[in-house]
This record gives sequence, structure tokens and C-alpha cells, in this order.
Amino acid sequence: MNLLSVKGLSVRYGPIIAVRHLDLDVDVGEIVCLVGPNGAGKSSSTLAIAGALLPSAGTIHLDGKDIARQPAERLAMAGVSLVPEGRRIFGRMTVQDNLIAACLPGRRPFDDPEIFSLFPILRERMGQFAGLLSGGEQQQLAIARAMLRKPRLMIVDEPSLGLSPRFVDIVFGALRQLRNQGVSLLVVEQSARRALGLADRIYLMRSGEVVMTGRSGSLAQDPEFEAAYFGKEAAR
Amino acid sequence: MKSPPPTAGTFVSLAIVVIALAGLGYLMPGLSRTVIESFIYATLVVGLGVFVGNTGIVSFGHASFAMIGAYGAAWFTCCEGMRQVFLPGLPDIIAAINLPLPVAALVGMGIAAVVAMFAGAVLLRLNGVAASIGLLSFLFMVKTIYENWDGWTSGQSSLVGLPMEVGIAQAAAGLIFVLCLALIYQGSASGLLVRAAREDEVASRSAGVRVWRERLICFTLSAAITALGGVMFAHYLGSISVVQFWLDLTFLTLAMLVVGGRNTITGAVVGALVITSLRDGLRTLENGVPTPFGIAEIPEGVQEIALALLLLVVLVARPRGITGGREFNFFR
Amino acid sequence: MNLVQLLVDSLALGSQYSLVALGIGLIFGVMRMINFAQGDLITFGAYMLVVPTVSDVAPPMIAALPTPLLIAATIAVVALAALLTERLAFRSVRRKGADGPTLLITSFAIGYFIQSVILFLNTGRPKSVSILPELSQQIVFAGVRVALVDLVTIIASLGLLLTVGLFLNRTRGGIALRAAAEDFLMARLIGVKADRVIAVAFLVSGALAGAVTLMFVAKTGVLDFRMGVPLAIAGFVATVIGGMGSLTGAVLGGFALGLASTLLQSLLPPDLRPARDAFLYGLVILVLLVRPQGLFVFGPGRERV
Repeated sequence: MNLLSVKGLSVRYGPIIAVRHLDLDVDVGEIVCLVGPNGAGKSSSTLAIAGALLPSAGTIHLDGKDIARQPAERLAMAGVSLVPEGRRIFGRMTVQDNLIAACLPGRRPFDDPEIFSLFPILRERMGQFAGLLSGGEQQQLAIARAMLRKPRLMIVDEPSLGLSPRFVDIVFGALRQLRNQGVSLLVVEQSARRALGLADRIYLMRSGEVVMTGRSGSLAQDPEFEAAYFGKEAAR
Repeated sequence: MKSPPPTAGTFVSLAIVVIALAGLGYLMPGLSRTVIESFIYATLVVGLGVFVGNTGIVSFGHASFAMIGAYGAAWFTCCEGMRQVFLPGLPDIIAAINLPLPVAALVGMGIAAVVAMFAGAVLLRLNGVAASIGLLSFLFMVKTIYENWDGWTSGQSSLVGLPMEVGIAQAAAGLIFVLCLALIYQGSASGLLVRAAREDEVASRSAGVRVWRERLICFTLSAAITALGGVMFAHYLGSISVVQFWLDLTFLTLAMLVVGGRNTITGAVVGALVITSLRDGLRTLENGVPTPFGIAEIPEGVQEIALALLLLVVLVARPRGITGGREFNFFR
Repeated sequence: MNLVQLLVDSLALGSQYSLVALGIGLIFGVMRMINFAQGDLITFGAYMLVVPTVSDVAPPMIAALPTPLLIAATIAVVALAALLTERLAFRSVRRKGADGPTLLITSFAIGYFIQSVILFLNTGRPKSVSILPELSQQIVFAGVRVALVDLVTIIASLGLLLTVGLFLNRTRGGIALRAAAEDFLMARLIGVKADRVIAVAFLVSGALAGAVTLMFVAKTGVLDFRMGVPLAIAGFVATVIGGMGSLTGAVLGGFALGLASTLLQSLLPPDLRPARDAFLYGLVILVLLVRPQGLFVFGPGRERV
């Protein structure tokens, strides 16, 4: 069953079209990866789906309800959590305050053993300023912060960016575990290889459009996938 | 979106409007005061608009330049023979020189430009809101200095006895002169660069634009134009005092600029014309107007409230002003 | 001048400045806007102490209440007025995606509107009002006679600063406010409601303005329709020299300005004292030149382009 269903989504910055007629579905409890080179329109799509950017056309349905023009905080309440590009943790606040800011009313982050079992390092860093954490620790904090919203759909933009392989393993492990608990995930990934290893299904974007889509297993065998990623000229 | 590049067409169009209004002022003497005042305010607002519109920085300091210009000119025109009685601090050499108003006006503009160059060199290193607050500090500083510089400014009391030489023709000439300056600047390389920095400062810097230098050129020119407005104001009223160039003038000119449209010269002119007319209308009503049904009258003080409300309505409903961010041009 | 006297004077002045600066800083944090109306809210509170009238003698209104009620009512009325400015004006402008200059001019317009209405109802002639008469005595403190009102101002201000500090650091609402001040969009993405957090900022800022009203009027006893303007200017300057976007910086900037102002007053030769503000603002511009990122901010400047 589709949790998220995007139809004909377009995003423009003035005269520049960043995303053109994007159709995309995410089922309950699956990881979908949005793959593509720089400037393909992946981040713009995630921002539009999370309500941080007003789309110029198209519909976005969550559980059958149209959410295309809802403000970001309303969507956060409805169970959509975005971990945006660059993580955007609150650097001048402590790790604990970062978590408290994301708490649902009446909840404390300390009650959430799940987060600390996934990311034990955060427990040690509770009193530190988040800006002083390493990149990998910041990424864990950003995902933990999104998890506190108890999302049904979590959108993560380039979680592996700038991370050492060890941290990529931790982060991807956490994403898989969330999927196993029934959370749907939409993950932006620049590396096709990593995406194939993580996702159930993949959408490949180039220049604002989806050029190929399919299950990871079949795309992994498909020589055209690599060609499409790098563009026709490079494939020749 | 950027404003369309100002052209000679805009200048000629606006000049025609100014001349037509001047003609109207001559034909209907009842309107002449409104016409003169709106020309003077338009000059002040064009000065403010050259800086605010091109750089995107809100200035709370421009009333100072109107004051500096007004006093600077007054030192050479005021109260012949009695000058050192009113202004005992003036050196003999200044006291001895009497300049015709146009020359004195240029002197006032020059003084303001020099002050602006030094003040701007410091203040324009700041960005955005910080620059606005810096300019406000500048306004306070200059006001305090002039209030206490008795020998040159007669301090907190008014300086009277200025030749009242500004009429419709002089005000129109002054306004057309500054329109010419402002539009030449807008079309110049510096004007283009400073607007590029307004749109995207980081990108302009990395493209090699010396933002500080271009802003300083813009600031200096706008101060000189504003100073001419101050000179005209002084020689229209025949007297000046420091409080005339204080928060009320700052608010009034900013309101005119925003109501007209703050990114264009047309906006500056239109805002000044509209608000001056509106204020004069309300002022007349405050004094009472006889009608067949008795005297129509509104209480004193409504004028200020109406002005603030008008500005708020424009900000909410039409943030780019009445002119909507386009230059006026007959020939397009 | 005696050192204790100097200290009390500069702390009393500085604590008023820092409360104004904190109020301005809170709103700047969430809206990236300097609120010009902050000073006029102080004026508004002061005029609510008396019955609006065009005659020169105004009968007391809130000023007639017993002390605890008087304090509560003044603070509540100003906080409510601040909230109203947000609801009626800033919100509509903000929803249209207004840029920085538009917001700045909007706050300027609101300030001018408040001034005009007060002028219309009360005329421009200064009026006198007496509140908290129990504070208008001198006491001996550390061997020096000082005004009780100054001591109470200092203590109350420190209490308020501490309270706001606790609110910002220990409550969910306060933490959400800080998060929004640091990255507004990210805060919304984790469910912080934009309208609510801005309303909270205005409410706290208004309450601080109300407190300043009480301190200022208790000390001077004079009402003037522009009385808040110099306080607001001091507040802006304090936030700028303290480093835009840093609340601690704004508070410290307020105290620094109070100290500089008091020092200039006692150190300048008497014939230059009337021009004290020229020196003060000259000093401010100098500080901005040397440290454009603010006196109390370390690392790169923080204003977003």
C-alpha cells in the first residue's frame, strides 16, 4: 500500500525548473532511494515533499490525503520527518536540547531507549554543544532528532555525505532497523552503489526528471542503469 | 527581478510630469504650496531612494544629510550683515562671503558629500540591519553635534533670516536636476554593480565586485542629492532648526519612498507627490472646511495616524509600492 | 565621582538597556528583524498608567492600583500590545514572504503609529505621574547614598534576566525558541510551530518592555510620547555591538552601553557633557568598525545574507 504518492511534482526557482513532473511512490515499510548526480533535483524534491518548499505543480498524497500545500510544521505533526542536506543540527545548543526541541509534547528524549541503542554515542555526548560533534555524530543526532517525531515517513537527504565507512555502516544500519519497524524511508543518495545496497526500490533522476526506476535487485543486473546514471554520452 | 534599466525615456517622462505640475501650480495659486513642498520632498526622497533602492539597505541616517546641506548653504546665504550676530562661531572669511543660492546649494551638497564619504567609509563595512542601526547612530550623533555647536548652528533655537528664494520654478529645477543625477547613476556601471550586490552579495563579491567601494559611491551621491533637498527646504521656509531634520522627517521620507516603491526613482517621486498631497488635504480638513452642511473638520493629529496606517497598508498589500517596482516611461 | 556610585549608576542604566536589548534580540532571533516598536511599547505602557486626556493633568489609571496589581497590569498590558502588533501587522507582512528591509520598515511604521495615537489622545506636552513612591528615597549602601529605585531596578533586572535565561534553557518552549532562532526552517521541520514560537517571542519581549516602563517611570515620573525612542535606540545599539543573534551578547551589550554612557557623563569636561550622546554613538560606530561581528561574539559573524 502506498504511504506516499507523488504525482506530477514540479519545483521552480524563478525561471529555473529544478524538478519536472516527478511521479514517485513509497510503500509502507520500504526504503526507496532517490539516486542521481549533482543538480538532478533530488534535494528540491525532498524539500517540496516535506513542505519546506512550495511546489509549482503536482500533488503529494500521504495516506490518501493531499499535503502538497501544507506548511512544514503541519507535516511534521502528520508524521513526515525530513533530515535535510547538511544535517542542520542546532550547533549552538547541546545534544540534549537538540533532542528536546524535537520531542513530541509530553515526551522526554531520555525515555527513548531505542535511540540510545541505535546511537550509543549520543548518550555520552548529551551535555556537549552539537556544533562540536564530528560529522558522523552530527548525522546520528540529526536522524535521532527526526526519529523522536515518531515519523511514518522519514526522508533523509544524503546521509552518507562526508562520512567515514564506519559511520555510514552505523547510519545505514539504523535506517534498515527503522524500516523493519514499519517506517517508510525515502533516502537521497548520490552513490548508485550505496543506494543499491540499501534500497528496496530506486528512482534515478537526471536534470530534474526520473529517467529510470525499478527494484534494486533487478537494477543491479541492468547495464543500462549505470549508463543512465552517467548519461548517454558517457556510456558511449 | 531587477528593475528595468532606467533610460533617458524615464528622465524625460518624469521631467514632463514635473513641468506639468509646476504649470498647474502657477495656474492655480491655491495649489502652489503643495506643489513646491512635494517637489522638495521628492528631492529628499530621490536622494534616499538612490541609496535604499540600489543597495537594499534601509537608511535611517539621511535626514542628517539634509541638515548638513541646509546649514552648509545657510552659512553663505543667511541674514546678510547680521550673520555673525546669529552665528558668532563662523570664521570671518565665511561670514564675509555671500553666495547666490545655486552656488551655496552646491557648497551644501559638497559638504554633505564629504561627510558621507567619511561616515560611509566606516558604516558601509556593516551589512544589512547592522548598517541600518549604524546609520541611526549616525543620525543621533550628527543631531547632538549640531544641537551643541551653537556658534555655527545657533544650537537648539531656529536660525532665521534665510532668503526665501525657492518657489515653484526653483523647486522644479532642483528636482529635475537630481532626477538627472539619479538616473545617470542608475544606468552607470557603479549603479549596476551595486544592484547586483543587492540581489546576491556573495556572488557579486566572488565575481570581483568591490561592494564597499560601489556602495560608498552610491551613498555619497545620495547624500549630496538629499542635501539639495535640505537646502531647498531651508530656503523655502526661510528658517531652519535641528529638530526639522529629525525622526519625523526620517519617517516621512521613508514612508514616501516605500509607498511609492522603494526600488525605483519613479517610486520616490510618486510617493512624495501622493503623500504630500494627502497630508495637505488632511491638514486643510484639520483646519476645517466650510461645506453646505456646516464645517467639515477632523481632529488634529489624524494626519500622522493616517500616514502610519497608509504605510502599513501598503507594506501588507503592496510591498513594492504604488508603482509596483517599474520605472515610468512614456516612450515604451 | 565615587566608585560605588558610578557602579550603581551604570548598572541601573545598563540593566534597563539590557532588558530592552534582550527584548529586541528575542524577536531578532526568530524573525531576523530589529523591532523599532519596542521603545514605543514602553511608551504605551507608561501612558496606560494614566487616563488618556488632552488636559495637562492626567488622573491615574493603572497607576491607581495597589503595587502588586500595578506591576502585573503594566507588564500584562504591554505584553498583550506586543502580541497584537504581531497578530495585526507583522504576521500579514511575514506571510507574504517579506524581505528584511520590508520587515524593518514595518516595525518602524508600527512604532510611529503607536506614537501618533498616543500623541492624538494625550497631546505632545509631557505629563507627570507618580508610581511606586516607596522607591523614591535615598539609602546608604556600601557607605554611599544611592537612590533606592536604582538598586531595585538592578535587582529586578537581574531577576528578570535570570528568569528569561531559565525559560530559554530549561523549558520546552524556550528550547524551541532557541532552535527557531538558530535555524527557523529546521525548527519547523521538527514540528516547532512558526506562528506560536514568534508569538512567544513577542509576548516575552513585551513583558520585558513592560518591566522597563515601570523602572523608567518610577525613576523619572515623566511621560512623553517619544520617551521610549532613546531606550529603543540604546537597545538596538546594544544588540549590534553585542553581536546580532546572540542573546547573551545583547545583554552584555546593554550593560556595556550603560557603563560607557555613565563613564562619559562623569569623565567628559562639563561643557562637552550635553554632547555626550555624540561621543557615545561615535564610540559605538568605532566599536562596529573594529569588531563588526560584535564585541561579544567569537568566531565568524552570524547575520545571514
